[in-house]
Amino acid sequence: MQCQSTQPPKMVYLYRRYHVGFRSRSPGSRPGLDDIILSMSNHRSNEEWLRDLGSSGESQSTAIEDLRNALLRAALYTFQGQLGSLAQFSQLEIQQLAEDCAQEALVSILKHLPEFRGESKFLTWAYKFAVNIGLTTARREQWKGMSLDDPEDFPIYSHWPLEEDLSKFDPELAVMRSEIWEVLRAIIQNDLTEKQRLVLKWMVFDDVPMDVVVQHLDTNRNAVYKLLHDARAKLKQALLSRGIGISETMDLFGTQG
Amino acid sequence: MKTSKFDAWIKRILATEDEEISCSDCFDLLSEYVDMEITHGPVRENHLKVEQHLIQCQVCREEYEILHSLAQMDAEEVVSPQDE
Repeated sequence: MQCQSTQPPKMVYLYRRYHVGFRSRSPGSRPGLDDIILSMSNHRSNEEWLRDLGSSGESQSTAIEDLRNALLRAALYTFQGQLGSLAQFSQLEIQQLAEDCAQEALVSILKHLPEFRGESKFLTWAYKFAVNIGLTTARREQWKGMSLDDPEDFPIYSHWPLEEDLSKFDPELAVMRSEIWEVLRAIIQNDLTEKQRLVLKWMVFDDVPMDVVVQHLDTNRNAVYKLLHDARAKLKQALLSRGIGISETMDLFGTQG
Repeated sequence: MKTSKFDAWIKRILATEDEEISCSDCFDLLSEYVDMEITHGPVRENHLKVEQHLIQCQVCREEYEILHSLAQMDAEEVVSPQDE
């Protein structure tokens, strides 16, 4: 399929700007920019994607190659917003990392293909695998070498979690925040399980990404989310029992945050 | 912790529901939710559960934001570099 436009799509332009060495292609080399443009002009319907990916021969290999290029684009786009996390990598290494993510996403998609229910565009469904794998990779690279158990890296939080001088805020707000924190601190120290307390500390106070916590605890996102949810439920109940509800905090804190 | 972050955390605590969908459920529904937003399709009960999860879960929210951008760009298709 030929690209009908003489100007590259916006995504390709972003891609080109960031990966300036990715334009030409010689036989046997990696896919180049032209291939990406071609893949973007490929408007298969959901049914055509499923038909081609499930077929054999050239139509299948073309569909897989088009899908791989779309996933590579999604992985590179994901990495564009994560350059701080990938600062130790060269552009070439980031490109390789993106290709690895695209390949992993492709394998996962082909495995999960029977689960595609057609309730979204096929490519939107496929992109989420590449975005998920890309973001998880970037977060783990950023936190590689840091131990969540190291007290020098992660000191136990002090009694008051706010960094700013509360006197610069409205006195009523400062009192309210202080009271809320005292309620929460008591629950965190006395009512949460050790695992809930640890996960809450890492993710809320230390800004550790969930994927890093998942890796550290050798578990999965659902389990960590459940720990946090149960902790939040206890904290919410404690606030409500003190008469601190959504309307009270909205009145005081307004719409900020 | 910055005061604004503390306030946002309190709001998330108070927005906690007894039943919330898991990250896996959110992942399963995310592409459908994103396309619904882009095409202004009908909002279903599952979509509200996704919205609630995205308020609480930062990693899923980040995935949603990138996926939404990608799908939006696909929907808009060709945009010239001069338009940036």
